[in-house]
Amino acid sequence: MSAVTSAVPAAHGAGHQVAQHDEHHGEDYSVALHNNRLGLWLFFLSEVFLFGGLLAIRFYLWQDNGVIVRPHLNQWVGFIVTTVLLISSFSMNLAETGIEHGDRKMFMRGLVVTAVLGLVFMLGVMIFEWGLFPSLHESDLSPSKDVFGAVVFAMTGMHALHVISGVAFIAVVWNLGRKGHFSPEQHWGVEACAIYWHYVDLVWIFFYPAIYLIGKAVSH
Amino acid sequence: MNTKRAAAYRLSTTVALVLAVLTVVEYFVAQEFPSTVLLLLLGLFKAVAVVNYFMHISRLWRQEGSH
Repeated sequence: MSAVTSAVPAAHGAGHQVAQHDEHHGEDYSVALHNNRLGLWLFFLSEVFLFGGLLAIRFYLWQDNGVIVRPHLNQWVGFIVTTVLLISSFSMNLAETGIEHGDRKMFMRGLVVTAVLGLVFMLGVMIFEWGLFPSLHESDLSPSKDVFGAVVFAMTGMHALHVISGVAFIAVVWNLGRKGHFSPEQHWGVEACAIYWHYVDLVWIFFYPAIYLIGKAVSH
Repeated sequence: MNTKRAAAYRLSTTVALVLAVLTVVEYFVAQEFPSTVLLLLLGLFKAVAVVNYFMHISRLWRQEGSH
């Protein structure tokens, strides 16, 4: 009997400990989340120097007697790949909103659509700008031919590296999501992946006009 | 679908539509009235929308982190 009665406060104590543990775990997560966000944004800040440097190079080198110039590029290709990347940002936001509100179907589908659109964007750049598949399309640009090719390849190449790492990040998050990870309360991995993907889109928001739209088009 | 979730999806769609419209405007500005300043301003508007609504920069100022 004493064992039964003594077990009650013991069990109560254990329950209290579990509740305390959960509370501490929640606090730990909250602090970690705050620090993680700060760390990610500091990383973006460091990347601004990289992409800002590339933009500065573009405006410094693509000049003709003080007039800003740009190479003749297919405007439709630029517009279409930009639109594809924009839609991928939308689908990524839907995925994040989905997990935030417990809509796992939207979360998983949004990730897949984003990754596919990211790959379509990459293919568009690789085929139509880089001319990696001459049987499909021959490109006038070459990284070593002139200053136009060098800058376009440097800018799109560095951006492409981020697109590829973003798609890999999405694949990891999708795989974890498939295994049941993430919840509306705890999904830092998803948030980080989404913010990273939007950062890739953000860079392109400035690269698109810099490469395709700004300046007088000249032959190269 | 609960109301909060529907409102969140509506906001996403609205921001995406605004970005799409600005991209089309950007394209036509470049073809018809090429202006470096205008194009950079349009890019800046798009960037602010992405940073604010998609990247949730305001969450950085929260003292206690939560989603």
